Amino acid sequence: MREQDIKQMVEANFQGSTARVQKKGRIIVTLVKESAPGALIFFKANGFDHLSAISCTDWLKEDEFELVYHLWSYTERIHAMIKTRIPRSSPVAISSIPVFEHAQTYEREIHEMFGVNFEGNPRLIPMFLENWQGPPPMRKDFNTREHVKNAFGMEDNLR
Amino acid sequence: MRELELYFGPQHVGMVGNFGIILNVEGDTVVKARSNPGYLHRGFEKLMEYRSYIQNFPLVCRINVMDPDPNEMLYAMAVEDLAGLEVPPRGHYIRSIVLEMSRISSHLFWIWGFGNLLGFDTIGQWAMGDRDYFLDLFEELCGGRVYHIYIWPGGVRRDLPPGFADRLCAACDHLEEKISDYDDLFFNNRIFAERTQGVAPLTREQAISLGITGTNLRATGAGYDVRKDEPYAAYSEFKFDVPVMEDGDSYSRAIVIRLELEQSISIIRQAIAQLPDGPAWNKVPNPFKWNINPGETYVKIESSRGEEGVYMVSDGSNKPYRVYFRTPSYPTGMLVLERLLQGASVSDVGHIMMSLNIAAPEIDR
Repeated sequence: MREQDIKQMVEANFQGSTARVQKKGRIIVTLVKESAPGALIFFKANGFDHLSAISCTDWLKEDEFELVYHLWSYTERIHAMIKTRIPRSSPVAISSIPVFEHAQTYEREIHEMFGVNFEGNPRLIPMFLENWQGPPPMRKDFNTREHVKNAFGMEDNLR
Repeated sequence: MRELELYFGPQHVGMVGNFGIILNVEGDTVVKARSNPGYLHRGFEKLMEYRSYIQNFPLVCRINVMDPDPNEMLYAMAVEDLAGLEVPPRGHYIRSIVLEMSRISSHLFWIWGFGNLLGFDTIGQWAMGDRDYFLDLFEELCGGRVYHIYIWPGGVRRDLPPGFADRLCAACDHLEEKISDYDDLFFNNRIFAERTQGVAPLTREQAISLGITGTNLRATGAGYDVRKDEPYAAYSEFKFDVPVMEDGDSYSRAIVIRLELEQSISIIRQAIAQLPDGPAWNKVPNPFKWNINPGETYVKIESSRGEEGVYMVSDGSNKPYRVYFRTPSYPTGMLVLERLLQGASVSDVGHIMMSLNIAAPEIDR
C-alpha cells in the first residue's frame, strides 16, 4: 500500500475529505469533524497503529482550531496527518481514547492549553499549570507579555 | 490496611529534572499512581511563536537537558524542509557524529542514575566521569558543555576543529575499554539481574498501543528505529545494528541501552573514516529578515529515548506560526508510568521510573 492508494481509499470512504500526498512518506488528510473518529479507526485498521501525537493549531483569522492527529505505520513507513477543524466559539471534539489509549494525555494538554473539550475523556484535569485562572494560554489571543505585567506587576523597560 | 497518599518527588535522583508522582500506598504496595508534571513547564512552544526562526535555537536545546542535540537537529530539519534548504554532505556527516555523541552522553547519564538507584554507586561515578570526556569534546566543538546550539539550518555552525577527529576516536576507544568494566561490575552482575528481571514488564502490543518508542519499545522485541525506518543526516551510509531484547522488563530496557553504546561508537568511527571534504554548511539568508514559505511539515528523528518529532506551521512571516514538539518521554512518563507503578513495591518506584529513561523537561517543554 503506497501513499496514492491510501489517498484513494480515504477519499472513497469519507465524504468531504481530501487527501494530499505531501512527499514520500507523508500524507495529509483533511476531514470534517464528524468523520475524525471514524478515520482514526480506519487508519488503525490499515496498519497505522502508532499515534505519535495530537497537536492543535489556533487559526485566529479563520476563527477555528485545527486538531492534527499524527499517525505512523510501522509496516508501510508512512506518516499520516489527519486534520480536522473545530470552531473557536464552541471548541468540542470527540475523544479518541477508545482507539488510542494514550490520546488521554494529549487531549488533556490540549484542553488545558487551548480550552478544547473532548467528549468522552474522563481526565480533563489540569496538567502543567497550577491554580491557573486566566484563559487557555496557548491561544493566539492570549498575550503573554500583558499577562506577566498584570500578574507580576512588571513595568516597561525604559532602556 | 489504611491507604496513604505519598508524594514522590519532585526532587528525586531517579528523575532527571523535577517531576512528581502522587502515590496511593497500602503498606508497601502502590495502589494508584498519578504523574504530576509541570515543575519544568517553561512554555517554550508559546515563546517560539514570539521569536524569529533563528532566535529559537537557544530554546529548543533546553527541551532535553541530557540530550539536547536531537532537538536542534529536528528544529533545523523542519526549517530546512519549509525553506527548501539543502545541507552539504559533510554537514550531514558532522551532524550524525554530534547526534551519536549526544546519545552516548545521554546513555552514560542514564547509567549514572540507574546505577545509583540500585545501590551501585561506583558504576554511577564511572559513567559520569566517562561522560565528561564527551562533554570536553562538545566544549571544544562549540564552547558549551551542556547546550551546544551547534546544528542549525543549512548544516552546522562551524567545521570540526583541527585534530578533533583523533581526540573523538581516543574518547571512543577509552569508552569501549570501560564498557567491559561496566559489564563486569554491573551488567553481568547477578545482583543487578535479580533486581531488574521481571520488574515492570511491557508486551510489544502494549508498548505500541501506548505510543512507546525508542529503547523502551526495542526492549519488547520490536526492532523499530527511525534511523533505519526514515534515515536522516547520513545514517543511510552507515552499517549498524538495532539492538533488540524480548522481555520488555527493566532488565531488557537496561541491556538495550548498554548495547546501543557500542553501536553509537561504531557509527562515530564509520562517520570519521568516511567524512567527505567540502563545506560543512550552506549559506542561509539574513536570519533577521528571513521569511519562510507558508506550509507545514512533520519531521522526526531517533533521540536517545525514542521518536522525537516536530510539527511546524509557517504562515510566511519571519516567526513560526506554531511549533509542536513530540517527545518520547511524554507518553512514557504519563500514562505508561502510572500503569507500571500500579501494584509495584514502594522501593521499586524510583527504579521503574529510571528504567523507562524518562526526561522530565521533555514532558513539560
